[in-house]
Amino acid sequence: MKRYAQDKNRRHWSSIAQRADSAGIQQHSPVGHRDEQSSDIAQIGRRNFLKLMGASLALAGVAGCRRPEEAIVPYVDQPEEIVPGVPNYYATTIPFDTSAYGVIVECHEGRPTKIEGNPAHPSTRGASSIFLQAAILGLYDPNRSAKIRQGGKNREFADFLSFWGEQAAAFAADGGAGLAVLAEPFSSPTLARLKSEFSQAYPRARWVTYAPLSDETRTTALKSLTGAELVPVYRYDRARVILALDADFLQHESESITAAMDFAAGRQPGDAGAAMNRLYVVESAYSTTGGMADHRLRLPSEDIGSFLLALLRELADRGLALENVPSGIGNTEFNKKWTAAVASDLLEAGQAGLIVAGRRQPPWVHELVFLLNHALGSAGQCIDFFPLNDAALSSTAELNKLTTDMAAGQINTLFILGGNPVYNAPVDFNFAEALDHVAHTIHLGHYHDETAQRSAWHISQAHVLENWGDARAVDGTLSVVQPTIASLYGGYSDIELIGALVTAGPAKGYDLVRTTWQSIIGPNDFEKKWRRVLHDGVFEGTVSEEITFTPLKSADRIIAELSPPGRDVSQENLELGFYASNVFDGQFANNAWLQELPDPITKLTWDNASLLAPLTAEKLGVANGDMVELHLDDRSLALPVWIVPGLAEYCVALPLGYGRRELGRVADGAGFDTYLLRTSGGMSYVRGATMTRTGRTVELANVQDHNTMEGRPIIREATLSEYQARPEFAREAVEHPPLKSIYPDYDYGKGFQWGMVIDLNVCNGCNACVVACQSENNIPVVGKEQVAKGREMAWIRTDRYFAGSLEEPRLVFQPVACQQCENAPCEQVCPVAATVHDKEGLNTMNYNRCIGTRYCSNNCPYKVRRFNFFNYTAEMAEVVKMAQNPDVTVRSRGVMEKCTFCLQRINRAKREARKRGQELNDGDIQTACQQACPSRAISFGNLNDPASRVARLKAADRNYELLAELNVRPRISYRAKISNPHPQLAADEPTGGRHPASETGQG
Amino acid sequence: MSAPITETPLLTGKHSFSGITAKISGIAERKAPVPWYLALGAALSLLLVLFGSIGFLVFEGVGIWGVNNPVGWGWAIVNFVWWVGIGHAGTLISAILFLLRQRWRTSINRFAEAMTLFAISCALIFPGIHVGRMWLAYWMFPIPNQMGMWPNFRSPLLWDVFAVSTYFIASLLFWYTGLIPDLATFRDRAKIKIKKVIFGILAMGWRGGNRQWRHYELAYLILAGISTPLVLSVHSVVSTDFAVSIIPGWHTTIFPPYFVAGAIFSGFAMVVTLTIIARKIFNIGDIITVNHLEKMNKIILLTGSMVGYAYGIEFFIAWYSGNMYEQFTFINRAFGNYAWAYWIMIFCNVLVPQVFWFKRLRRSIPVMFIASIFINIGMWFERFVIVVSSLSRDFLPANWDYYSPSIWDISTFIGSFGLFFTLFLLFIRFLPMISMAEVKTVLPEADPHHGVAHSRPGGRHD
Repeated sequence: MKRYAQDKNRRHWSSIAQRADSAGIQQHSPVGHRDEQSSDIAQIGRRNFLKLMGASLALAGVAGCRRPEEAIVPYVDQPEEIVPGVPNYYATTIPFDTSAYGVIVECHEGRPTKIEGNPAHPSTRGASSIFLQAAILGLYDPNRSAKIRQGGKNREFADFLSFWGEQAAAFAADGGAGLAVLAEPFSSPTLARLKSEFSQAYPRARWVTYAPLSDETRTTALKSLTGAELVPVYRYDRARVILALDADFLQHESESITAAMDFAAGRQPGDAGAAMNRLYVVESAYSTTGGMADHRLRLPSEDIGSFLLALLRELADRGLALENVPSGIGNTEFNKKWTAAVASDLLEAGQAGLIVAGRRQPPWVHELVFLLNHALGSAGQCIDFFPLNDAALSSTAELNKLTTDMAAGQINTLFILGGNPVYNAPVDFNFAEALDHVAHTIHLGHYHDETAQRSAWHISQAHVLENWGDARAVDGTLSVVQPTIASLYGGYSDIELIGALVTAGPAKGYDLVRTTWQSIIGPNDFEKKWRRVLHDGVFEGTVSEEITFTPLKSADRIIAELSPPGRDVSQENLELGFYASNVFDGQFANNAWLQELPDPITKLTWDNASLLAPLTAEKLGVANGDMVELHLDDRSLALPVWIVPGLAEYCVALPLGYGRRELGRVADGAGFDTYLLRTSGGMSYVRGATMTRTGRTVELANVQDHNTMEGRPIIREATLSEYQARPEFAREAVEHPPLKSIYPDYDYGKGFQWGMVIDLNVCNGCNACVVACQSENNIPVVGKEQVAKGREMAWIRTDRYFAGSLEEPRLVFQPVACQQCENAPCEQVCPVAATVHDKEGLNTMNYNRCIGTRYCSNNCPYKVRRFNFFNYTAEMAEVVKMAQNPDVTVRSRGVMEKCTFCLQRINRAKREARKRGQELNDGDIQTACQQACPSRAISFGNLNDPASRVARLKAADRNYELLAELNVRPRISYRAKISNPHPQLAADEPTGGRHPASETGQG
Repeated sequence: MSAPITETPLLTGKHSFSGITAKISGIAERKAPVPWYLALGAALSLLLVLFGSIGFLVFEGVGIWGVNNPVGWGWAIVNFVWWVGIGHAGTLISAILFLLRQRWRTSINRFAEAMTLFAISCALIFPGIHVGRMWLAYWMFPIPNQMGMWPNFRSPLLWDVFAVSTYFIASLLFWYTGLIPDLATFRDRAKIKIKKVIFGILAMGWRGGNRQWRHYELAYLILAGISTPLVLSVHSVVSTDFAVSIIPGWHTTIFPPYFVAGAIFSGFAMVVTLTIIARKIFNIGDIITVNHLEKMNKIILLTGSMVGYAYGIEFFIAWYSGNMYEQFTFINRAFGNYAWAYWIMIFCNVLVPQVFWFKRLRRSIPVMFIASIFINIGMWFERFVIVVSSLSRDFLPANWDYYSPSIWDISTFIGSFGLFFTLFLLFIRFLPMISMAEVKTVLPEADPHHGVAHSRPGGRHD
């Protein structure tokens, strides 16, 4: 009893300062005590969080709770203080490889809840991607490392500094011999400054940069071709004919957001002033870019280079001004007709003809491609070249040297700043083993991952939304990374750690970045301009000067150095290809949104697999879910098979980033580690693999069992010429009787009437809308088992269908959300009237009234309603709850949920308009899916306003409503997909799966 | 002049009024036989399974079942419709056959009515527990509340609530009214106080006077009149759960008559199954004779043929409609992912009853026992095919998914048999399972001309 009283007493705060201290609020210094704070935060419940908020208000003058300590400037509002319930928006930047993506972060009461692209930033222009959207969840990941550890013991940053202090003194004496830094690629003035300061301080130290997926091959090619480090920025909107060689530029290449936006802009058939480009894709696996192709040629990855040679020959024969094309190349027969069509199209397009090679292709392919673009005139027209300033580029060769030296014991101290080389370095480097030969290893990382586990020191890394930094976009535009929340787990940024290395003392990220920017902005009016940069998210006027592309090499020199192509692929000589996945290279493996996000092509969640073409699978005698063993030299890997139509035969596509152990609750056990087969000689693809069956099978959770449209008029398509001949083909595709209801029609002629149009012609299935919706609407993650049962919760999903033959299928995507039917079948059958229409035409859902009969879902022809079969949010870690949007109800067990056109955004926009005393304008409301969409495929607005974009699109041709023949009167309509085949190839195109107008639906 | 038509006697063997009373009351008065205890033990075990399954369901959520996104309704709704269907025979026998003066019903009506009530009890479990938040299931009732919120009267689920509860109440009243004279008999024969009191209350002061009989028979007739349309309406309304929707395979105007025929079909099959067991155990083959069973088999043959016809016409209409979704649904039923269920259904419901064209088979106890069980299985599969196969593949192929039941789906269904048999076993132990008063009316002694030459055997003049 006495003990209890004592304990209880201890729980009472004796003073307000102590109270604040207990929550770790008081810390001003960047060093020390961060540990306790981070371990506390994972335990903080909503109630406690509010309590702490209360405590922090009491301490308003002392410290801000969960807010960065330094001055940050809101993007839209200029709040004197936080207004509860009113979000603030902050501009910041998310660097990724050598790119920078400007974003705007929505913060509620000091916690970031949503990320959008920054319209002012050149690499996002207001749109985003799955990775940007999911960064919010990454911030709150409870499995992020929260500790500084040395050999299994918890340490303070001060301990590390004293450790480094001793080391630094020794290194200072000998110029840093035996000291090495292994960092991730960057393009950042501050990091570049610190890197050069580091090199000055330790001239003999090594700085190696490595990332498993990067633009290394392209930059290498450009360097060898022009002598300079250049970054090409593709202007797809200016291209009339695009040939993509193994380039998934709409999804997994760098700068995919603007690529998708520009590509969509150049693909607007029939719209005034716009035109329709033509896309040729040569690839091995099926990518989203391949799905958008007008013509797709599937080839093993290694043969794509040979195809390029054949094309080069063809172009040279047709008179392309290309010097020194050696005869005797390009003899490999591929598809003669295809090659001829591409060549003639490219020549005709001239400087509007663009060839893009992907990062999976070797440097020589890039070199030839740039030479061809140069000869066509598109280099400088469709490709702008910018200098790569302040950047560090990934180099596998450098990593190889470093690893060799490590193994030889020549490296005494190794700093691994971010990255996870133990997991993702080429397997033949034996990086983990080499690491054991290094006396002192220090790892800075977000997770206590594979590398952290094998390093002597591990320092937790701050999330990009928690730290200061800066970045340079590909076109040179500078922007600042500003924190939107005080560090949750007490991490340190790479800038802070390098700062500490250079100064051998604590360094604050804020000071380091400002020091750099003082030289960028200049001393005049610094504070004002600095605040402007923080506010805007970009430093206006910092676009680099374009560089004219001048090749120093000719084609014959490149070709002369080529080694002969390898043996043809066969059953005994499979080609393995390594691909970025929904978790990219594995760095997002513990992000549940991305794990549960279906792969755009395979529709698998929570797993990767060895992807095979149907015929190859048949020859190898394997089926979906069969565990097979892949053998490559003396290495092997067991993983399941998944059959994907349209892959090149005898090519095995292996998505990277899965198969993690002891990383986190989400990542562990999901998928298989394909890095185990990835060698430095086959970073993208390698031949000589074989496959054997193990006899076992595993269950894979895919969200779409059926892959064809069964001849139904679901996604309506036509070629450009068919469309021009019959612009109303989409509406005419289905004949049906007059659509009358037995109930009197509601008058929707008044007020706002919300509607949406989705343009299937530009949707590339990237899934940014899906993750954006999940973030905006607090959609729970349900896990592999539930997905396998068919209980995924996405409110908007992208349906993916294959059309045409099994070998050469076309791919079509269709985002489907609640269609907000005016004559909604779900509403009529609900016994308790839990789903009802509002006067603005929304099919609303009253969660409190729902008893969960699921009749609405059964009666929904689109099956867009989602049911909470369990209490899916019950097991959500407390800290993850902070990521939730306070404007959207969190649903409990047993209720139905679905899309309501982001009703909370509609209401907020109305409130804001009323406060301004103005009418709501078209475009004031953007739904989350619409805002994220990089292709700008989604339009939303008031149907009663004939001038609104959505009303105009609905009136235009190509517009059709899905299943309109059921008389449900959906408020979402689709714009039909138009393909633009080459006339000479059009005849070869399979027509199966298209829906000519003769086909009838409901009779 | 042709010879007078002679009817087969409704009862075999020699019976007297007192003999009937002694025999039927004796079942409830004697010490229960050992098999009864064994059966009750088994039934109670199953009932525990039901309670356990429901308990876990309330604790965890509907996710413990196999239902998923396209297939929002699974075994729970299949079981509901199946049990409601079983519950059709009782009232049909009681009400419609009563109005049609089919006096062979007297031996089996009590039995069948009880079966109806217990089947409806089982059925009523499922709509209550299959909802996501079962503690709020009462919101389906039009209960005045502070929100001024009424249920949605356009929803067939709400019609269901009214139809099934009305049917249950009407059946209960009908059954109870029929029980009153027999309850009085039990009261009069009771030897212990407690029985006297209970049966005394239940018998509502029945003395068997002429005036009471007149009121009683009128009341019984009126209740029969009320119940008759209910027999047809309840399953018609249940069928609108499907017919009112827009899902191909559900959206069908044939459903109300088709469901009613199917319900009677399955109800009679269940009566046959249970009767065969009861007459064996309690040795009442002379009261419930093979003739009774044969008549029921004829009804099974009739309704089975109607159901078979409906299966055929569905295919015809799917083709005739020119609706691609409808056509696909039916081709998919027969040859798609649930073809196995469809062919089980066709075998059990269409092929098996054909044996009853043959008199010898129609009167063979083993044959009809096996056939009736097949029919009950077949009718369960019919509902499974309708509910699951239609949902699993509807309009957009991207949504298609396969449904399989979980262990909890199965345990809940099996558990519902526990409830059914527990109630049934208690019924045959404590209440007169054959209507003594009514059976006596078909004895020769009940004929006013009994003992007079040329009186027709088999009962009084109508």
